[in-house]
Amino acid sequence: MEPMEKRSVSDFALPSASSTTQPVPASLAKALSRLRVNDQVFHSITRVAAFFVLILLSAIIGSLIIGAAPALQKFGFGFLTSERWNPVTENFGAMAPIYGTIVTSIIAMLIAVPFGLLITLFLTELCPMWLRRPIGIAIELLAGIPSIIYGIWGLFVLAPFLQAHVQPFLIDLFGNIPVLKTLFAGPPYGIGILTSSLILAIMVLPFITSISRDVFEAVPPMLKEAAYGLGFTTWEVVRYVVLPYARVGVIGGIMLGLGRALGETMAVTFVIGNAHKVSSSLLAPGTTIASTIANEFTEAVGEIYTSSLIALGLLLFVITFAVLAAARYMLMQIERRQG
Amino acid sequence: MSDATASMSGLYAGRRRRNAIVLTLSFTATAIGLGILVLILGTLIVESFRGLSMKVFTEMTPPPGADGGLLNPIVGSLIMTVLGVFIGTPIGILAGTYMAEYGRYNKVTHVIRFINDILLSAPSIIIGLFVYELVVAPMGHFSGFAGSLALAVLVIPVVVRTTEDMLMLVPRELREASSALGMPKASMIGNICYRAARAGMITGILLAIARISGETAPLLFTALNNQFFSLNLNAPMASLPAVIFQFALSPYADWQRLAWVGAMIITFAVLGLSILARTFSGSRK
Amino acid sequence: MSIASMDTPVTHMPHMAVGHAAQSAAGKKEKISIRGLNFFYGENRALKDINVPLYERMVTAFIGPSGCGKSTLLRILNRIYDLYPNQHAQGEVLLDGKNILSPGLDINLLRARVGMVFQKPTPFPMTIYENIAFGIRLYETLSKSEMDGRVESSLRRAALWEEVKDKLNTSGLGLSGGQQQRLCIARSVAVKPEVILLDEPCSALDPISTAKIEELIDELKSDYTIAIVTHNMQQAARVSNFTAFMYLGELIEFDATDKIFTTPSDRRTQDYITGRFG
Repeated sequence: MEPMEKRSVSDFALPSASSTTQPVPASLAKALSRLRVNDQVFHSITRVAAFFVLILLSAIIGSLIIGAAPALQKFGFGFLTSERWNPVTENFGAMAPIYGTIVTSIIAMLIAVPFGLLITLFLTELCPMWLRRPIGIAIELLAGIPSIIYGIWGLFVLAPFLQAHVQPFLIDLFGNIPVLKTLFAGPPYGIGILTSSLILAIMVLPFITSISRDVFEAVPPMLKEAAYGLGFTTWEVVRYVVLPYARVGVIGGIMLGLGRALGETMAVTFVIGNAHKVSSSLLAPGTTIASTIANEFTEAVGEIYTSSLIALGLLLFVITFAVLAAARYMLMQIERRQG
Repeated sequence: MSDATASMSGLYAGRRRRNAIVLTLSFTATAIGLGILVLILGTLIVESFRGLSMKVFTEMTPPPGADGGLLNPIVGSLIMTVLGVFIGTPIGILAGTYMAEYGRYNKVTHVIRFINDILLSAPSIIIGLFVYELVVAPMGHFSGFAGSLALAVLVIPVVVRTTEDMLMLVPRELREASSALGMPKASMIGNICYRAARAGMITGILLAIARISGETAPLLFTALNNQFFSLNLNAPMASLPAVIFQFALSPYADWQRLAWVGAMIITFAVLGLSILARTFSGSRK
Repeated sequence: MSIASMDTPVTHMPHMAVGHAAQSAAGKKEKISIRGLNFFYGENRALKDINVPLYERMVTAFIGPSGCGKSTLLRILNRIYDLYPNQHAQGEVLLDGKNILSPGLDINLLRARVGMVFQKPTPFPMTIYENIAFGIRLYETLSKSEMDGRVESSLRRAALWEEVKDKLNTSGLGLSGGQQQRLCIARSVAVKPEVILLDEPCSALDPISTAKIEELIDELKSDYTIAIVTHNMQQAARVSNFTAFMYLGELIEFDATDKIFTTPSDRRTQDYITGRFG
């Protein structure tokens, strides 16, 4: 074993130096001070980048408010309640887009949530092990398909199909039942609110499934085994053990899905029909906030027109922000609980 | 187990029935879900096949009735996607690094994380409006550059999230070991933490690319569209999603055909990137 | 009549039973002197008024039941606790007479002098060669051949050279647990520290690796001052010259290892050593 040469590190001065030490060698001091400067520079750069994220959100909100101001000033609160949408007289109201956005999203969720939970049930309890991964991936592929694809598929495949086979059937089926009659009144356009809701449901489905799946699988196996051991059926285990345990997570996932449905643009634009009208029938065409903006923004002439569209954007942002904030808050609670 | 009493078996039959119904429903739901996936992808492949040819990749978008391809939107999409990733990724990585390394115990970091998650799920059309207000309106015209910026804004939250998550996973002991050697913090982050989290961070970037590849709305009023081949970032630039939007909603059959082809290209690019990201993160170590 | 060296004045150590050192106290230099040390996790006081010396080129073992504060104490000596907010120390820790707890201290320099090996082997995600070279490069610029020589001598010092000399360019993560730990020791030794802190270095290892590392400690002490925290009393008895017994954040007894394990002065030490609790 060669003898180790003792470097005289011990002679390097600590700042509270006494007089018995030698000065720090110049090369080492230079190296260390360079490293220290690098450190500070890097720290500052990362800090700026992080605050940039905060600034970004504020800038978005700010620019939306500034852009929407002219329209909001002109129309005031009536903007929210008026159904009129007249570029010529420059009279705009957000009622139809708001109605369309909310109705399509709600119907989409009504369809997607049970569907999604049922698929999750299948994947976590029934599906044989070797199939679990492929099917899980397939469902996630649904989430990966860009929304414009859903749009054209909806326009060229789903809408004609609904128009030819489903909608006439629905109109006839409910033809004489009082409330449902108006809900499903013809003519069968193929496109419209119901079709948009269906497409949205398909798009939101994988979100709900994947988040629910994560929370379902986080349920301690021992809890489930205890229930099975008592003789519970599979459905009962899910209903009385898994769902209560996973409840907050599932709700968080549902709200995230809702957030997506509210803001979805391209898929809906293709199949909603773009009519600025609030109709009582689900089979009628309508419009959503996002599709209105997408369709009309580049054609908008005049300050009020543009500003009204931006005001719609601001509305959408406020709605989705509220939903998303609530969802993230809920999901944060779970993460905290699971430590 | 001995037979239960008569009432028990009545109850039990009901439970079994309910169970069977629910299980059948869940099986059906899954089948329907998978069926829809097959239907969509199948339609995509069949419809686009009709329009597929070499011309798609070599010729510009045609006026209605004429023959042509998708060269300018493909190139435009590539340019704007790459630029968007180039701009957004460094910001995202640096921000995520701050949150995981320097500001980990700060309250501000909680706020940033929350805000970032909101940005992550915000409707992309709002981002388009924002970039319009910020860049297009002052400049007076649409541009590929504005489109790239919109895409960059979409990339940032994804990269921030994955960077922070991956860096947080680096074990405490590894950091302590490098600090114990006297390594300054920046050096520790650069050489140890980034290296350890590398696979996850790359996955995050791939996911971000997959996300923006399919986005239409933010491009609609930033880059607009361009029927001619152009590499000029200071002018409107074509993109696949914008062209699909225009062509699919038109009444012309050949335009619609091209729209399907474009749709297939985007879908396979996005799915390919997702699969790449998945295999990459799976093959860590 | 004290175990303190002639250099440092005798201070009154109220909580400690001080005994005679088996070796001659004269000529023992205190490399590190801990005086009146208190440590806090937030509001919670984890170490109470600790006074203990670490003698130069000796192995000092810290033993005691879980939660007694021995790891906490070790982690103060290279100020690794600085990485976390809410943890702070009061008192004096003198390294060659200078207090390392003073705020203006250059921590990186401190850690160049005081190295640490952790409980869990932590090779960097790099090649074996790079693992060692990396630390060296922080402080010195060496030519390729000089670096090769340093890497080799560090690995020899850690009794690892023979096993890895043909695979220096493979990842450090590919080694067995015991080899990884020896790699970490080599890495610490490579930057030429004066003090090496070992925090339960063998607890994650099998008996054969443990034996090799204990041999290593025995050789290393001829050049370095070593402090080792261990929950394995027999290990403390095997490798150390001095032993400190801690309990509930206090230093109960400090003395030569032989004395502690044969005729301890404090009742609690006796109970712990004989397995009455722990």
